[in-house]
Amino acid sequence: MVMFGVLRRGIVCRTFWLALALAWPATLGAQTGRDVAVVVHPDVPIDSLTTADLRRLVLGDRGFWPGSLRVTLLLRAPVAYERDVVLKNICEMTEAQFRQHWIAKVFRADTAVAPKIVYSSEMAADLVNRMAGAITFIDAAQVGRGMRVVKIDGRMPGDKGYTLH
Amino acid sequence: MTDQSHTRFIVYVSLVSMLCLGTAWPAAAQQPAHPAPPDDQAAREALPVYPSLHIAGFGDVNFAAQNRNDGPRGFTEGQFTLHMVSALSPRIAFFGEVTFTPRLDGGTGNPPATGFNAEVERAIIRFDQSDALKVSFGRYHTPINWWNTAFHHGQWLQTSIGRPELVQFGGRFIPVHFVGALVEGVVPSGGLNINYQAGIGNGRGSVISRAGDAGDNNDVPALLANVFIKPDRLFGFQLGASAYSDRITTIGRPDYNELILAGHAVLQREDPEIIAEIADVRHTQVGTSLTTSGFAYYVQAAYRLPAPARLWKPYFRFEHIAIDSDDVVFAGVPNLDGSIVGVRYDISTYVCIKTEGRFLKRVDNQPRANAWFSQIAFTF
Repeated sequence: MVMFGVLRRGIVCRTFWLALALAWPATLGAQTGRDVAVVVHPDVPIDSLTTADLRRLVLGDRGFWPGSLRVTLLLRAPVAYERDVVLKNICEMTEAQFRQHWIAKVFRADTAVAPKIVYSSEMAADLVNRMAGAITFIDAAQVGRGMRVVKIDGRMPGDKGYTLH
Repeated sequence: MTDQSHTRFIVYVSLVSMLCLGTAWPAAAQQPAHPAPPDDQAAREALPVYPSLHIAGFGDVNFAAQNRNDGPRGFTEGQFTLHMVSALSPRIAFFGEVTFTPRLDGGTGNPPATGFNAEVERAIIRFDQSDALKVSFGRYHTPINWWNTAFHHGQWLQTSIGRPELVQFGGRFIPVHFVGALVEGVVPSGGLNINYQAGIGNGRGSVISRAGDAGDNNDVPALLANVFIKPDRLFGFQLGASAYSDRITTIGRPDYNELILAGHAVLQREDPEIIAEIADVRHTQVGTSLTTSGFAYYVQAAYRLPAPARLWKPYFRFEHIAIDSDDVVFAGVPNLDGSIVGVRYDISTYVCIKTEGRFLKRVDNQPRANAWFSQIAFTF
């Protein structure tokens, strides 16, 4: 009976640590490893962008799509995962640097329109389909059927080597 | 409660309040700046409306200590700068910049001088056809110098307190302002991102530190061209060159043709930030071959320290100006060999404190002028 108790305690203990070890990367992935899709308005005449193109769009160095369609940048509000991914992976900037960049950009008269803030994936999805020339960033798991996702460096979210996560 | 214990109580409460505020400040500064409104309302607000006027401002307060009378001492109020931008349609926008600068002679004279000088620094109406073609008209900061068009009058934007002397506001070395028309854009060029600007305008006025706001004072327009690249492979790097020509007409002097050639190389990545500019200004008396040359450059290096000292950014700049002693147009413009060393501390995203030492030598065989400046600069 005593032996059985020790054995059972040992199994429970090992199972606990094994479960924790298996769950740890999954938990971590849920926080930081989700792919972010780049979604554009259905009329935007592109299927693929490079990381450099994307950086120019997000930093306001490019204001038009081919065919002279004005770009409207829809960005999640600070602390959203999608925004963090864009700032870190595309702009290589902190939140403070990004804000300072856009204040300077408008002050320099490079552009009259700063990025528009969206407060949820639903709002981003709604506006990107309503505003001509819009581009936004949505958690790939929340991309719906009617959304137009573009490739980044030839890769779609979920592909090996996709950089936006 | 006695007076003494009452005073002690007030001091105690004040100290506790200051401590609480002090600890709450960073936390408050990190709060998201955009509390979420309901989705419907936010969606309505996100849709474009014309005109869409937005106003931003810049301000600064300074303190100076100098061993020679080479500028202000004590506390000084900096320029109060208002920036207006308004999209008038998807392709047309207006940009304006107005400054209010404190005057030393405020209240003197008859009628009394105002306490502040109001100035329209920029007023630009621009039509954007595409990234490759944008056409604008108005009053600009002359785009032949990087600093002049990167920071304008926003002291908070620049790392150091002072501008390099070759682009000093009210200075004469290069024309800081330009009234006319500008064509600009980006030429498709793979990853090089070749940008161009070409302009025609009034050039310098009869007072050469000012633009010809009320019209050209001669029949030779000022022309400018500026080309720069921003390669994708070297994010934050910009390399450019520019040329500017004009005829200068001043009262009581012959006319001079002016040719300015300038170049810049900038790495704007904070870790490091490197800015280097060079300019050569040639004046040739009209009808003669008498040419004089003024030459200036500066190099500034700064480095945003890694965490946990990320709010600190030390910097250093060396600048040099050499004016030909025969240059009549630049008579009175001093030579300079100067260094500044300082540090910027970003209190919050929109406020910074800077402090810097300046060590300037104007004339050979004369002692250096040493000064220490501090500044709080902010945007609002």
